[in-house]
Amino acid sequence: MNRAWRNLGFGIIVAVIIIAMTPYIWMFLTSIKTRVDALSSIPKWAFSPTLEHYPKVFLDKGYLPLLGNSIIVAVSSTLLSLLVGVPAAYVFARDRFSGKEDLFFFFLTTRMAPAISVVVPMFIIFSKLGLVDTYLSVILAHSSFNISLVVWMMRGFFEEIPPEIDEAAQMDGNTKAGTFFRILLPLAAPGIAATAVLCFILSWNELLYAMILTAFESRTLTVGIPGLVQPHGTLWGQVASVAVVATLPIIIFTFLVQKHLVRGMTFGAIKG
Amino acid sequence: MAGFAKIKWQRILLDKGAGALFLTPALILLLVLLVGPFSYMVGLSFTDMSFSQPGHDGNFVGFANYRKLMQDDPIFWESFLTTIKFVFAAVSLEFLFGLCLALLLFHLVGGQRLIVTLILMPMMLAPVAIGLMWKLLLNGEFGMLTYYLRQIDLMAPQTALLSSYDLVLWTMVGIDIWEWTPFVTLVILAGLMSLPKEPFEAAIMDGAKPLRVFWDITLTLLRPIIALVMLLRGIDAFKEFDKVFILTGGGPGTATELLSIYTWRINFRNWDFGYGSVVAFMVYLVVLIMCSVFYKAITWKQGLEGIKT
Repeated sequence: MNRAWRNLGFGIIVAVIIIAMTPYIWMFLTSIKTRVDALSSIPKWAFSPTLEHYPKVFLDKGYLPLLGNSIIVAVSSTLLSLLVGVPAAYVFARDRFSGKEDLFFFFLTTRMAPAISVVVPMFIIFSKLGLVDTYLSVILAHSSFNISLVVWMMRGFFEEIPPEIDEAAQMDGNTKAGTFFRILLPLAAPGIAATAVLCFILSWNELLYAMILTAFESRTLTVGIPGLVQPHGTLWGQVASVAVVATLPIIIFTFLVQKHLVRGMTFGAIKG
Repeated sequence: MAGFAKIKWQRILLDKGAGALFLTPALILLLVLLVGPFSYMVGLSFTDMSFSQPGHDGNFVGFANYRKLMQDDPIFWESFLTTIKFVFAAVSLEFLFGLCLALLLFHLVGGQRLIVTLILMPMMLAPVAIGLMWKLLLNGEFGMLTYYLRQIDLMAPQTALLSSYDLVLWTMVGIDIWEWTPFVTLVILAGLMSLPKEPFEAAIMDGAKPLRVFWDITLTLLRPIIALVMLLRGIDAFKEFDKVFILTGGGPGTATELLSIYTWRINFRNWDFGYGSVVAFMVYLVVLIMCSVFYKAITWKQGLEGIKT
């Protein structure tokens, strides 16, 4: 490839990065602008920043508990999904039994199930059980897609550990369960960590289940965002502050798991 | 000796038990959380259950809801058509851009993680935050993008993309492309990096032109991965809710009322769970069909890999 083409290529890549980042940067700038600057009809790139919106929306408007709710829901659903998903993934990686691949496919379809369809009967069942607007309802709903993510990702990680290690451990007198807990889990720890982060991200970002299954007490941060957008007179500084807080942890986590993103996003279909 | 045999017997039982014990909690939880509600939904679709009448738990109405869907609900079919347009436009353009970008990255920066991660940031953020960002950019009075689009005369002074009946669906497609092209790029890039080197070397030895190599070797070898990523995107685009919900709520009119938004409106605005269940069931069916095609594609990919090795 000659030089001019190379430069053009790099130019396109830089342009793509700018296009990918600008909306986020603009939202961040809006969160530190005064109301007048934010509503200026000519876009303002230079202004004197203010931090007034953050305390206003999180303390005065009471959005701080929503942040706590988001953390509680995401952490609990991640833990629950790992607890039931990791052992199941181990069985899929090591055991042979008839119908295994079909059962595995069933796990995939649960991840693909359209939330809007599942949430209708789920809402009716949970409201009859009096579980609407509790943490439990959202945690369970989020686990319904996270469990299959765990099973899909962890099966791949377990399969990368040579089966000879299991055999050696069992020769030494470990039971199968013992082998799993004492030998395999520590070996798979990096994979578990990556999977956990992805589960956390999916649960943290989720809107539909959380919006319909919660009303007030257990609202998550994503559910709080639409409530701030009014047909007229939206306080954009405050909305943008909430959105910045809702996205910042995800940006950090994305850098942590960048190595495993392809696998996570394609359900292990592509190793990456 | 007899004791030894007994212990071994216990071991086998214990290990078989462990396998079952490892698998069942996940299975039970998924059955309870997904198969349960699914069957309940199918049951509800034969009733006139509604939360707008307190204390009314729904009477059996036979196939009335299904008849309504087939015969007197033009809005459902309109919404179906809108969804199909959205999915096809978004997925095909994402594929086109994603493929070009992946090739560019592959030849220029390889697996350079930092650059790749910067490009794929849009797909990791909460879709509801993305909807918000674009609402801010496209606002008719003070939107940053609106201002620059008007400056270069791409938009008439008094128009706004989000309230224009003709343009709003394509605006949604554009935002979806912005959000998900990175995903297609990431997967195709991973595919490109895993391709074997020999076919390319052989082709160059034979004096093949670069375009020919790309068409005959790169694209052929990438076919299964391309099929996978398009199906995954297709399924996700079909379920699109968050962004459109916050950007337009389905409007103006029903211009952006995708099936998921329509399902939401029937169930959680009209509280008509009987008919709403039929609509939700239809959405589920389409996704299930797409899923089984996805499964076929995976087996196809594994089959091809099996031949290779």
